Amino acid sequence: MGQGDYNYTFPHRGLIAASALNRVDLELIFDSARAHLSRNRTEDKKHPSLKGLTVINLFFEASTRTLASFEIAAKRLGADVVNFSAGNASLKKGESLADTAYTLAAMQPDLLVVRHPSPGAAAFFQSTTGISTINAGDGANEHPTQALLDLFTLTEHLGDIGGRRIAIVGDILHSRVARSNVALLSLMNADIRLCGPASLLPADADRWGASVFHSVEAAIEGCDAVMVLRLQRERMHSGLIPSAREYAAIYGLDHARLSLANQGCVVMHPGPMNRGIEITSALADDKDVSVILDQVEAGVAVRMAVLELLAGRGMQETRL
Amino acid sequence: MSGTIFISGARLIDPASGRDVEGDLRVENGVIVEIAPDLSPHANDQIIEADGAVLSPALIDIGARAAEPGGAGIENLDTTLRAAAAAGVGTLVLSSSSGTGLTRPEDIDWISLRALQAPIRLLGAARTHTHAGEMAEIGLMLRAGAPMISDGGALIADTRFLRNLLSYASAFDAWVGLTPEEAALSAGTIAHESAMAIRLGLAARPGISERLGVERLAALAELTGARVMIERLTTAGGLEALGVARKRGLELAASAPLTHLLFNEVDMGALDPAYRLDPPLRSESDRQAMLAGIADGRIDLIVSDHTPVALEAKANPYSDAAPGSASLEALIPVLCTLDADGQLPLLAGLKALTSNPAELLGLPQGRLEEGAPADLVLFDPQAPNVYGKDGLESPAPSAFAGRRLQGRVLMSVVDGAIVFARPGFAE
Repeated sequence: MGQGDYNYTFPHRGLIAASALNRVDLELIFDSARAHLSRNRTEDKKHPSLKGLTVINLFFEASTRTLASFEIAAKRLGADVVNFSAGNASLKKGESLADTAYTLAAMQPDLLVVRHPSPGAAAFFQSTTGISTINAGDGANEHPTQALLDLFTLTEHLGDIGGRRIAIVGDILHSRVARSNVALLSLMNADIRLCGPASLLPADADRWGASVFHSVEAAIEGCDAVMVLRLQRERMHSGLIPSAREYAAIYGLDHARLSLANQGCVVMHPGPMNRGIEITSALADDKDVSVILDQVEAGVAVRMAVLELLAGRGMQETRL
Repeated sequence: MSGTIFISGARLIDPASGRDVEGDLRVENGVIVEIAPDLSPHANDQIIEADGAVLSPALIDIGARAAEPGGAGIENLDTTLRAAAAAGVGTLVLSSSSGTGLTRPEDIDWISLRALQAPIRLLGAARTHTHAGEMAEIGLMLRAGAPMISDGGALIADTRFLRNLLSYASAFDAWVGLTPEEAALSAGTIAHESAMAIRLGLAARPGISERLGVERLAALAELTGARVMIERLTTAGGLEALGVARKRGLELAASAPLTHLLFNEVDMGALDPAYRLDPPLRSESDRQAMLAGIADGRIDLIVSDHTPVALEAKANPYSDAAPGSASLEALIPVLCTLDADGQLPLLAGLKALTSNPAELLGLPQGRLEEGAPADLVLFDPQAPNVYGKDGLESPAPSAFAGRRLQGRVLMSVVDGAIVFARPGFAE
């Protein structure tokens, strides 16, 4: 399918939740992302579809890779990009979130990318300012672009993931990545498994449309993909689990455990990894199974696609 | 494991089946191979004339503390093990508060190492937490061989932490032994709240502290799906709360300490530091409730709660003395005495120390049946026994010291080997 074959206009003003997307949205995003992905591998990466637009990356939580990914995506599309991040003085002066929103809106940006520790923060920015907003992580609620790049990577490796068995292993309770992924994987009719210590699994996880496991061996059996989540350092001393050593021994992913999965099973991780805790170095670096760097590469392409669509300058605008 | 043993003319009690008959029993290669009224010994059998003494499965005590690892004090682990063998205990699951606490997988490995040389079967419970709010490596400890998890008497006051702990533990399907107390009501108290304790001027905790504790643990068990064992239950109110929780379909277990089956607060009335215990001695009606609970099975387990306290720590006024009693060697005498007084049938008492703990922890021993491991205790239920008069293996202070009891262990067999024989018996 080339550009311009759509009779469908991307209907979303912003990207707040993966759960708001439908399958046609995904096709649109992924077709465009595929084009960006190949262009990103050439020497001329510029595709100035966002020329003249201003994107503000507003990160109230420390981030390196997500911020860099959004910044590169917007710059390759020719937008002007401004970053505000957690270390930034203006975000620490006790100003209310509403005032921050009004102030930024007054500078007439065209797109906001917001990461904030409170669930609902991205939606709040969008409704307060009326500016198209991409949720780059709101607390433990959603991180839709991560789920998009994960699904994109999965599809590139496995083809249609309907009926494929995919395990998400780790701290599901505090993970926005898991929540957004469950939304998209359900939409694609994948057979989803959630696995982790019971103290790091939501009490109602069995009602998420996924099966719940406390044994990583049982969870991995017959899987086509395993998504390993990062064990946040602060969890290690929060009374939720005993220690990194025990977590690694009981829930860590290694080659032996992965051998229970299907042939060709891919291993994913949203990064940054704690090598030797949730995943062994040998497995993370095993080019035959680990697609972790593919995820990072796909992240830029998928975010370019999302930025374009939200700016109204995506494929549907260039159709015949 | 050793050769063959032939025990003739014993009163064979198998608490699991309720069988209580005269007969003979043969042991071969560590296994009970024959039980029948009139067996004939084989040529090389070591023949033990029981002369009507009771032969029961060796006891399984899941509540004794050792002073090791990390300390020795008055009683090192070898002494505790000798005391256990002399008490007819074939399987000792050390409390997680032994020594400085069984808080790391290395501690459980240490127990396994010591078990190789121990006369009896030795295990250790995994401690729930290292410090307040810090979970211990319970998964690794269970993998290392701990048969259960327990707070070891260190009450976890933080309910949110306890919830997380029970959630985490639920994945391992192991019993979690917990102390039933309401932290603020019990903090700093050394007696059971009653007219007597108040008259003596003792800081006392009300019985409802335990009831609230049981209700709290039951609610958390319901929320998390963890298997909770209420450890060292001592009040009628606590037992009643346990009954209510079970009516809601919750799978809970409970243990009672040996001291509280024989003593009540009146024993403490002279402020003798030997009776300074934790939990404190309760009222007579509480003691009666414990006995009734064991008799009808509402209380699953009796534990020795053996606590070797240094002499100097006991040599203080009641309120300043360290709590605890050396109680292992009192197990059989207390059961026999309660039975003789018509207070608790011997069968019920033995069940709470043999087949019940075996069943709860999934151990093959604890039964007197063909094919079961040959872990046995032979005892004379009538022999008068002034506790400690003829010497004890444990040198630690005991609340039972000087008490007129009856019942004496004659011989203990573990894995087919005689690990204890009373001097003059079976020699």
